[in-house]
Amino acid sequence: MSDVTLDKAPVAPKEETPFRRFVSEFMASKIAVGGLLVFSIIVVVALLAPWIAPQNPYDLGQIDIMDGRLEPGEVGGSGITHWLGTDDQGRDMLSGIMYGLRISLTVGAGSALIACLVGASLGLLAAYAGGRTDTVIMRLVDLQLSFPTILAALMILAFLGKGIMNVVIALVIVEWAYYARTVRGSALVERRREYIEAAQCLALPTRRILFRHLLPNCLPPLIVVGTIQVARAIALEATLSFLGLGVPITEPSLGLLIANGYEYMLSGKYWISFYPGVALLVTIVSINLMGDHLRDVLNPRLKK
Amino acid sequence: MSRRFRGLSGEKIMAWKGVALALAGAIGLSAPATAQTLTMAVGAPVTSLDPHFHQLSPNNAVAAMVFDRLVNTDGQARQVPGLAESWSTVAPDTWEFKLRRGVRFHNGNEFTAEDVAFTFRRVPNVPNSPSSFAAFVRPIREVQVVDSHTIRLRTDGPYPLLPQDMTNVYILDRETHENATTEDFNAGRAAVGTGPFRVVSHRLGDRIEFERNDEYFGDKPHWQRVNYRMIVNDSARTAALLAGDVEFIDQVPTADLARLRRDDRLYMSEVTGLRIIYLSLDHPREEASPFVTDNNGQPLPRNPLRDLRVRRALSMAIDRQAIVDRVMEGAATPSGQFFPPGIFSYVPDLPAPRFDAEGARRLLAEAGFPQGFRITLHGPNDRYPNDGRIIQAIGQMWTRIGVRTAVEAQPWTTFVARAGRQEFSAFLIGWGSNPEGSHPLRNLIATFNRDRGWGASNRGRYSNPEVDALLIQALGTINDGEREQILIRAQRMALEDVAIIPLHIQTNIWAMRNHLRHDSRADELTRAQDVKPAR
Repeated sequence: MSDVTLDKAPVAPKEETPFRRFVSEFMASKIAVGGLLVFSIIVVVALLAPWIAPQNPYDLGQIDIMDGRLEPGEVGGSGITHWLGTDDQGRDMLSGIMYGLRISLTVGAGSALIACLVGASLGLLAAYAGGRTDTVIMRLVDLQLSFPTILAALMILAFLGKGIMNVVIALVIVEWAYYARTVRGSALVERRREYIEAAQCLALPTRRILFRHLLPNCLPPLIVVGTIQVARAIALEATLSFLGLGVPITEPSLGLLIANGYEYMLSGKYWISFYPGVALLVTIVSINLMGDHLRDVLNPRLKK
Repeated sequence: MSRRFRGLSGEKIMAWKGVALALAGAIGLSAPATAQTLTMAVGAPVTSLDPHFHQLSPNNAVAAMVFDRLVNTDGQARQVPGLAESWSTVAPDTWEFKLRRGVRFHNGNEFTAEDVAFTFRRVPNVPNSPSSFAAFVRPIREVQVVDSHTIRLRTDGPYPLLPQDMTNVYILDRETHENATTEDFNAGRAAVGTGPFRVVSHRLGDRIEFERNDEYFGDKPHWQRVNYRMIVNDSARTAALLAGDVEFIDQVPTADLARLRRDDRLYMSEVTGLRIIYLSLDHPREEASPFVTDNNGQPLPRNPLRDLRVRRALSMAIDRQAIVDRVMEGAATPSGQFFPPGIFSYVPDLPAPRFDAEGARRLLAEAGFPQGFRITLHGPNDRYPNDGRIIQAIGQMWTRIGVRTAVEAQPWTTFVARAGRQEFSAFLIGWGSNPEGSHPLRNLIATFNRDRGWGASNRGRYSNPEVDALLIQALGTINDGEREQILIRAQRMALEDVAIIPLHIQTNIWAMRNHLRHDSRADELTRAQDVKPAR
């Protein structure tokens, strides 16, 4: 019953599973595959950063202020060639970007996952229970969405203080509402279908109906929103760090690296902001490319 | 005689000036159109036009344009006659100030001793003052108006610092300001002083328009009108100067220094200031200090920072010249004491501690920490130029001698509250000093004592009875030469005991278009009367 959205005639002639069909449809777009490829490379680089980065940019013992603001390609006092230059503290930009990507991806994926769990559960509950529960949850969502995201995140972080965990918490708080609203929308449609009625007639427990019957059928829009929210979360984390509210200064993420270099822009030391900016851009664009195409694949209305 | 004459014929002179200006305007079209107007931008907002409301450099700078003090200060923070022409002690506990004759307020009222007496009454009674000027008049027990231009101030026992205190008190007019509130000043109604400029219009936190006071008793400023803008964002201020929107800026961001120095459309004015950046250490705790642990993260049984060898090691491990060159872009001077040379009570032969990582490691081993320990260094990230960068650099240097350092930077308001509660083990902070050794000693080094008002900013709670005793002795010594020697001894004693770890003294930097010059000021005040055309 999880193939509701893919009820069209099969494209490929061979043995059909929904997943296989999904994969083949996704692979049909070169752009999406490109996005996936780039994103995979980024993930691998981020995962392997401690082994492949020229230095550990978070270890104050390994960086030297005398190597500060070296141009791309210069060799520092420790003998490392800084292919992307160094920042004002003498941090190798390449290593900084690799480690920064780790933070960005962890924060992005982590906050999106938790927000998705929380938001989707509440959305399902609202749609299924209806009545007062629905009203309370959805008004909460309205309230949440009426704040500008960045403002709400700033307030939460001002209250919680710095730290990666706090950034994740702040992002979850500002993002769960998107998931809740999405899931509720599709769940409202689904719950009037006959299979739910049938399940109810069988007197199945509510939890089972919610998570085994209703949720799987609401997944496609959730996946799309999730992908886009991961990209949004990464951008938001970068923004918060840029504003000095995210990560500690000795463990810069991409946003903080950009902020560090920002002051030197007028002095022509472009690389401190530029390369982390490029890394951030490429990451977000690759995720968005995948997300856009996922939406096309998963949306039955766009099918020919 | 001549002064009275000028007072009477003020209007006539104004009229002539008007004609002259009109002529200059008609003839002088070849000169820059703004010849008599100066547009300047400062980096910190002025919070009030009431000169007794908020002790803050930007407010004091504007006060020093509109008002005068009994004792003014020159660019090197030395005392020079202001509204008082001379001062001396007539008894050990009594100072006499001879006041300048023929001075008039902007509204024409004459300045007399009664105005001084009135000012001293008003200063402690400004409601809601966020940082009061009351401390500067508190030593005065009794004010005695001898005649219209002589005033005697009696203190509890000998008090040598009274002229220094008087450099902070701006004199108001009794008639005009008898019932003037801070709101009256902020509305512009009461912003009437004796100073070289009068306020024409203003919007707090945005801009102030000044006009020259042609009756001013001192050197007349060059500028007929001054447009005093506040541009808080560093890059925006620099950009405004580069674009020519403003002709003069203060607080030049160090990141832009190298580029601005190369730009031959610009001229820079610099002077070593009076603000020292230093590290404060946790002195009082005998047992574990909150942010010091052994290398496995376990609390140490005793506080290593109480050991002089450890403190010296931490000081020697810092390459001050590298911080000045690499982080401050040269806009500071490494220092081992509160003052730069040339300031009263500067300690001779006490240079900045030499950078010696090897020696630091040896000292640590001697003190029983051959493997070092771990520490967290705290600091603000929005208060001093490059504060967050400096603590990271020190984190590197300490880590290299085996003291593994974590660095935590916070917004100033949170930071300073926690530092004041002795929550940290080591932290970076700054201090803008009066040019007199007792000022930093009393506030940063003296044993904390609320009743005496000592150690108010001694957040590391250093305490040394010998230094305290010398300080008491100095504060009772009227003779400047003798007092200076005592203060030098007290400072040397505290600094050799590493009461604090001095890092550097900031350089005050102003940038202007090349057709201007500026008399720099150690006290950071940005005033229009110090700006002059080149040539």
